[in-house]
Amino acid sequence: MSDDHHHDEDGHHHHLRESETYYAARTKALESLFREKGLIGTDTVDRVINFFEHDMGPFNGAKVVAKAWTDPAFKERLLADANKGIAELGLKDGIEGENLRVVENSEDVHNIVCCTLCSCWPWPLLGLPPYWFKDPVFRARVVREPRAVLSDFGVTLPEDKSIAVWDSSAQVRYFVIPQRPADTDGWSEEKLAALVSTEAMQGLALVSA
Amino acid sequence: MRLDPPLFLPRYRPGVIGLIQSFILRFAGSAQPERRAQTGAMGDKTMKVQHYLGGIEGLGPVKVEKRVFVEPWEAQLFAVHSTMMGTGIWAWPDLRVLAEGMNPLDYFKYRYYIKWLGGICKFLVDRGYLSQSEIEEKTKYFLNNPTAALPNAGNAEITQRVVDYFYRGANPYRDVVTNPVFKAGDMVRVKDMPPAVHTRLPGYLRNKVGTVDVVYKGAYLYADNVPTDGIGTAQPVYLVKFKTRDIWSDIPDTQDVLYNDFFEAYLEAA
Repeated sequence: MSDDHHHDEDGHHHHLRESETYYAARTKALESLFREKGLIGTDTVDRVINFFEHDMGPFNGAKVVAKAWTDPAFKERLLADANKGIAELGLKDGIEGENLRVVENSEDVHNIVCCTLCSCWPWPLLGLPPYWFKDPVFRARVVREPRAVLSDFGVTLPEDKSIAVWDSSAQVRYFVIPQRPADTDGWSEEKLAALVSTEAMQGLALVSA
Repeated sequence: MRLDPPLFLPRYRPGVIGLIQSFILRFAGSAQPERRAQTGAMGDKTMKVQHYLGGIEGLGPVKVEKRVFVEPWEAQLFAVHSTMMGTGIWAWPDLRVLAEGMNPLDYFKYRYYIKWLGGICKFLVDRGYLSQSEIEEKTKYFLNNPTAALPNAGNAEITQRVVDYFYRGANPYRDVVTNPVFKAGDMVRVKDMPPAVHTRLPGYLRNKVGTVDVVYKGAYLYADNVPTDGIGTAQPVYLVKFKTRDIWSDIPDTQDVLYNDFFEAYLEAA
């Protein structure tokens, strides 16, 4: 892959091949050639982008969290079998979520999800992974120094809380139910779901009201 | 006559140089000699930095970029990739093999989808879907004509195939009877597998001892179409729990733990 990149010896000059303009043209070339060869439809790219904006995204996960916060029996079923649990809410699983597992944050333990080998992430509940999750620096550091990494995200945990890091190396994709914020008694599921960020559902943010 | 600069001038890539230095020190210098003698781990094997990211020091803060795509072309490229997945042109292991085969300096240097762009082009040419010259010519055309329209052609059936694929997935689970070697509560040692083109064994866990937390039901197939270190057949998978301080003895003694899922081929009795 490095063949596309050239540097002169002082590293200051960036070849045309490292510009966003170049990457954009090359990507457009791929779609163009795919169209010519009948390997893609004219509306495929728009549909894929739309799919992850409206069908498979963190709004699904937030719905699951809000339900788990308000329905303890549902939460128990979800923790026991996540794929069955989300189906109760009419959510479909699928790619990168064929085998889901939900873990729950508590007063005693804070869960963080990572993938040190690549970027495994629970797509049916969270859509596509954001850049921070794929960053080699995050992946290198979070397993050894999770508190320092949390600090980069602006999160400080009590000293006596233990951290469990889940490194997704085989075929299970992990999802975190964050702690419900105080002073939200009686809130609707919809209002609760709006509090829950993507980062909170992988343990890199707390939820506040 | 001017002297040529060293191959890698630290002032140009301090992050990467620091990374490689700390990496070399960790494995060549700080490993316990008796352990190295016993297992032959590190130092006498080829290795890929990409397999050993966990625990590297000196990298500086995490870039907390919460967007999925930072340039419009990345979304377009992702959609092309999804089409390749949904129509069976390639699968995750193909992409991972390419990422793991990269120059490690480039792996750290380039943004995620820039790496994908290189990998996708290489794969399509290697497998004969596209030729290098037509990619270059078409790229040049769009560089010179950035607002030129895409051809109004294609296969209309493919869009639904891709969406169906998102919901169908590619379940690696195999509902077969297995005889797992380990049971919940067993102490296991992570094997130090021989280097492979592609692995699902994180380097920082090699030779470490943990406890089996869950024996997953049935078996899982990783991939039988790429070269791996023993996960090309369906096999039991285990969730193993480690005390984080059993992985790194030089960190503060806390109750922190780390979980990792292992294919059975990667474990032995401890």
